[in-house]
Amino acid sequence: MLPNRSRLSVLIFLLPPLLLYGAAVLFPIMQSLFLSFFSWNGISDMEFVGLQNYVHMLTGDAVFWRAFLNALGYLAICLVLQLGGALFVASLLTSLRRGAELIKTLYLLPAVISTVAIAFLFVRIYSIDPVGLLNQVLNWVGLGNLERPWLSDVNTVLAAVSAPEGWRFTGLYMLIIYAALLAVPQELEEAARLDGASRWQIFTKIRFPYIKPVWITTTIMATTYGLRGFDIPYLMTNGGPGQSSELLTTYMYKTAFTSTDFGYASTMSVFIVIECLVAVGLIILMLKRKADA
Amino acid sequence: MTAPAAPMARTETILPGRSNRPPAVRRRRRPTVYGTLSKVLIALIVVVQVYPLAWLFLTSLRNEHDFASGDPFALPSSVTLDNYFRAFETGNLGLNILNSFIVTMGANILIVLLGMMAAYALQVLGFRFSKFVRSLFLIGIIVPVQIALVPLFIDYSSVNLLDTYQSMIIPLAGFSLPMSVYLFSSFFEYIPRETYEAASIDGAGPYRIFGLITLPLSVNTVVTVVLVNSIFIWNDFIFANTFVLSEDLKTIPLGLQNYIGAMGKVDWTATFAAVCVTITPLLLVFLLLNKAMIQGLESGATKG
Repeated sequence: MLPNRSRLSVLIFLLPPLLLYGAAVLFPIMQSLFLSFFSWNGISDMEFVGLQNYVHMLTGDAVFWRAFLNALGYLAICLVLQLGGALFVASLLTSLRRGAELIKTLYLLPAVISTVAIAFLFVRIYSIDPVGLLNQVLNWVGLGNLERPWLSDVNTVLAAVSAPEGWRFTGLYMLIIYAALLAVPQELEEAARLDGASRWQIFTKIRFPYIKPVWITTTIMATTYGLRGFDIPYLMTNGGPGQSSELLTTYMYKTAFTSTDFGYASTMSVFIVIECLVAVGLIILMLKRKADA
Repeated sequence: MTAPAAPMARTETILPGRSNRPPAVRRRRRPTVYGTLSKVLIALIVVVQVYPLAWLFLTSLRNEHDFASGDPFALPSSVTLDNYFRAFETGNLGLNILNSFIVTMGANILIVLLGMMAAYALQVLGFRFSKFVRSLFLIGIIVPVQIALVPLFIDYSSVNLLDTYQSMIIPLAGFSLPMSVYLFSSFFEYIPRETYEAASIDGAGPYRIFGLITLPLSVNTVVTVVLVNSIFIWNDFIFANTFVLSEDLKTIPLGLQNYIGAMGKVDWTATFAAVCVTITPLLLVFLLLNKAMIQGLESGATKG
């Protein structure tokens, strides 16, 4: 603490950031909570309905549950691609003597491209007429019978809209995990190697425990980003066909801005926030406990 | 994870028989199997990451007939810049880029300045409820941005902020502020206490210390914060899509949507040309400053 500080100076430095943060983040959260107890279309008078929105959401809305399960599927695919892919590539990279910098840069390229551009790109990759990249590759490797319009097939559309999100950010997590892996002391690995440990043993017994704190952070990041995923499904399919690629976020958005049911949309966004908090709590609980055991 | 398992098992079986050999020999032998395999895998994965982008660029040079028929992997039969002309005719690419630039600059100024001020109050000045304020900022990292859409839409319409630059800048800056606060306060930890004490003894108050010591020392952190946030702000779709309606204010992500024409008919080659134009500014910055950016992304995660 500075000796010459005054209460006023603390306020002068603290108030402007808190004002912006309050106006853009904290106040809207409170407002959503408030609105979730009302029925309101933005024009007529607000009507207090108590818990009715919540009851309807949890017991009477099949689309909501569909969207919830889809969101979990979306999250699972993103996590496997982002974290699994990132850990895999980062481990491979540590064995590389040269070129790691270049590969890091190339690998991260998709992360700087806007979601709208990515949505356009993947619409073409999945397309069947004219034949897109994916169907062409399937043809070449003799899996031509798998060829299909990936975005209009109800069985594949969820995976098809999740994959671009996974593809986009795997480079980011790879960077973080790679940096953590480089910090693992060489002597530890060297000693284990002399004792005859296999690569797999070195990975599970030394490397992974060592990068655990970073792993927890990246898992939390990837999960919260996965749960707020919106752009790519919204742009590519708008939740369709039917509800087969509807996520909670896209459903919430449509409820708010297409059906202008602000009250019910707020109820859903409260649910999304709770879902995120629960997810973060679970991750910390699970990974911490495993570390202690 | 299954692919490298085979060479691993193999090295394990070789090990016991050769344990009396000097380690140098062993180390040179091992990479030949494992090393080649991992190099092939890395190359393959890099192709998956980069090829779609190369394809995007190649397609933007194709003529329409070439695009509609034929093998998507083939090189363009003839190179044409027509698509780029059409792209500029259809949309307002220049205006979109300018708007994105204004929003990115505006949000970044707020994020850097306010983030630095908050971190200064929290880390350097210190006060009784600083723990509480820190945890308030944590909320903004965990909570998804979608929660703010409905309330902000209502608030904006009551104070006439809908369809302005501010309507995008405020939430973008607000939701990026926590990360900036954390980055700055972890940097301020490294500025030695003695520096501040010496300045205090010389009679400098908290404002002069901020302006003359903390601010100039933080240039590197400012670069990190700006680079990391710019990626997200430049590409923001959801706030722009919700709060902006008029053509004049559309940022790049919204402008690109104009290329989906009436009845869903899309001029794909021109669209891809437009995409290429719009990703170029950020891509150039990224390629030029990739070391700083990569370092920023790494530190953003580990400290955040």
